[in-house]
Amino acid sequence: MKLRQLVARIRNRGDGSAGEAEKPRTDGGATATATDPRARTRFQQFRDSEFIQSAPFWLPPFLLMGFFVYGAIGWNFWISLTDYSGFGSIDYFDLSLENYREMLNDPQIWDVTQNTFVLIILFTLACLVLGLLLAILLDRKIRFGRGFRTIYLLPFSLSFIVTAQFWRWMYNFEDGIVNQTFGFLGLGQHSWLGDPGLVLFSVIFALVWQFSGYTMVIYLAALQAIPTDQYEAARADGAGTFKMYWRVIIPQLKPAMVSASVVLVLFALKAFDFLYAIWGWRPRRGADILATKMVRESFQRQEWAYGASIALFLFILSLAIITPYLYQQYRRGNL
Amino acid sequence: MLALAGCSGGGDDGGGDGGAVELMHAWTGGDGAEAIESLENAFAEEHPDVERDFRAIGGEGNVELDATVASRLRDGNPPSVFAGWPGNNLVQYEGVLGDVEEDVWEQANLKEAHVDEVVEFCRGPDGMSAVPIGSHRMNDLFYSVEVLEQAGVDPDGIDSFDAFLDALDTIETETDAQPYVNGLATWINLQLFAVTMQGTQGVDAYMDFIEGNGDRAAVQATFENMEELLTNYLNPDAAEIGFTEANQSIMADEAGFIHQGNWAAGAYVAEELTFGEDWDRIQFPGTENMYGFHVDSFIYPSDNPTPEASKTFLRFAGSEQAHIAFNQFKGSIPTRETDTSDFSPYLTETIEDFENAEHRPPTLAHGLAVPQATQADLEDVLADSFLDPYNVESATDGFMNAI
Repeated sequence: MKLRQLVARIRNRGDGSAGEAEKPRTDGGATATATDPRARTRFQQFRDSEFIQSAPFWLPPFLLMGFFVYGAIGWNFWISLTDYSGFGSIDYFDLSLENYREMLNDPQIWDVTQNTFVLIILFTLACLVLGLLLAILLDRKIRFGRGFRTIYLLPFSLSFIVTAQFWRWMYNFEDGIVNQTFGFLGLGQHSWLGDPGLVLFSVIFALVWQFSGYTMVIYLAALQAIPTDQYEAARADGAGTFKMYWRVIIPQLKPAMVSASVVLVLFALKAFDFLYAIWGWRPRRGADILATKMVRESFQRQEWAYGASIALFLFILSLAIITPYLYQQYRRGNL
Repeated sequence: MLALAGCSGGGDDGGGDGGAVELMHAWTGGDGAEAIESLENAFAEEHPDVERDFRAIGGEGNVELDATVASRLRDGNPPSVFAGWPGNNLVQYEGVLGDVEEDVWEQANLKEAHVDEVVEFCRGPDGMSAVPIGSHRMNDLFYSVEVLEQAGVDPDGIDSFDAFLDALDTIETETDAQPYVNGLATWINLQLFAVTMQGTQGVDAYMDFIEGNGDRAAVQATFENMEELLTNYLNPDAAEIGFTEANQSIMADEAGFIHQGNWAAGAYVAEELTFGEDWDRIQFPGTENMYGFHVDSFIYPSDNPTPEASKTFLRFAGSEQAHIAFNQFKGSIPTRETDTSDFSPYLTETIEDFENAEHRPPTLAHGLAVPQATQADLEDVLADSFLDPYNVESATDGFMNAI
């Protein structure tokens, strides 16, 4: 139903003001006009309906998506109900919820879920705040603004394998720049990638460094869309700089904030590559997240079914986070 | 997906010498790379008609290699032969390995040539699927001669764990060197657990533990000893470095002791340091009459792409020639009778110890003592409750439950 409306809407939009009835059809036009409309059979009606006529455009991606994305998710769910492990073949008909029960009793799952949530929340908030500050600074027409923009955005364009290696060096206990600086300031040396109480924050800091530039760009685009007279009006009404931003400008950035945070949260759920690049299969205690645990269970222990159930849990978490956003977009008519 | 991969891979089962022997191993660099190259050359000389495709997949503790091999085996597209630990490590591969007892072990008379334990280690759930290529000693305690001299420590006097701690204390107070270095990876500390238990609780306590009849008090005492060693004398950046980096500070005379499998000695040889002058070793205190047993082997998957050529290679791998070609570079020792004239003084001593040792307890962290799943459980316990902060009570419970 929804899809049909969507297709119809897209078609209408595309046609613009030209009368649709008179417009020659691009595909199969000759037969459509040759038939007397009154004599059209049900089949012909069906064949000529917009739904079918537009099929060449939506059907291939629909099938590909359906198979490779939703089919794979369904298959993953099915595997999670089996007891597949090791090198045997899968028994697809001996199904139970055993893996999910095991998850409830696995103390590691609670730890990694907790770490995953701390990572999501702190990382997203820090990126949003830092990105906003950077965007406001750059929007105030400072000198070399373009240069700064590139500098802030650059880390985002680097691969995690590269940035993880950077941070490994920077966090190095003996010679890393972080500990050197701390030592210089008299704050002592810390084991940034070793102390279980610090590791997660070290990771979050590194990820914020990489992603705040991206958040900044999204904010900056939104900021530049706000007309200058609003700034002038706020000034004329006697608002100071802080009040102007707090009351007038920032509230208008809400849509940008929502879309940025969805991307950030989804990224944080999958911060696997970064952790893998630093620690390999088993991150330091305190930095283990659902994604790393999932890969370890599946590819190191060959516990395929259990790994699949962790994957599904991760999927449901992502869905829970993205659904309110999709719903809001839908209500606004953006979908 | 599975079916597709199966079709493309394992089709020519009966074909025999259809293609090159695809051998997957983890010896990417240094002494390991030299050793496998030397083995390959020796094989090529002996069997010039057999094509070879030897492939290295890197990573500490065989982790990446095992994962790659696992996915190939699962997809029904196995390599001809892969390097791996025999013993209980073979349990995980049940159903996908082939039996080469007749075609390799008997045909090449390997059973008489190799020591009895190794013959047994090569017997897995699918029959005799492995052929040994060498053994690393797992109970050496390496040290920097310079640091110990500076501190005035006599290594020969270290005959108990307490004497070892005293020596570390002396290094701490008398020199600027770090008394004990290592990484904090789980496999390193599972190995440390094994050797500490053998040394402080005796070999019987250790054997009982790996067989599932562990004494809780012995496990707890082992963890208490480890805690004392690690909290007081370990390098503060242990969590961030691997053993190769840790080993460098021994070579630079910046640290006193390191405990590792004797692959650590490969680095000393590569740096051209002299055994007995720059570096030396004692047995881990309390294990003087033991040889900590580790075995590297080549494993034969069933559904083999090149069954005849693979078996030709395995027969060769068990031979004296292969063991000399491989081990003198790898820094490990042959698991069979061999002429030892090509081996370094250190390895020659190790070979003598191997023959004369009263006990040869199988390694816990390298596949022999327990199946892979159990080893992973033990490593999880270490990661979650022991490796800094050190919770002895909870780690003891975890270990008692895991085996």
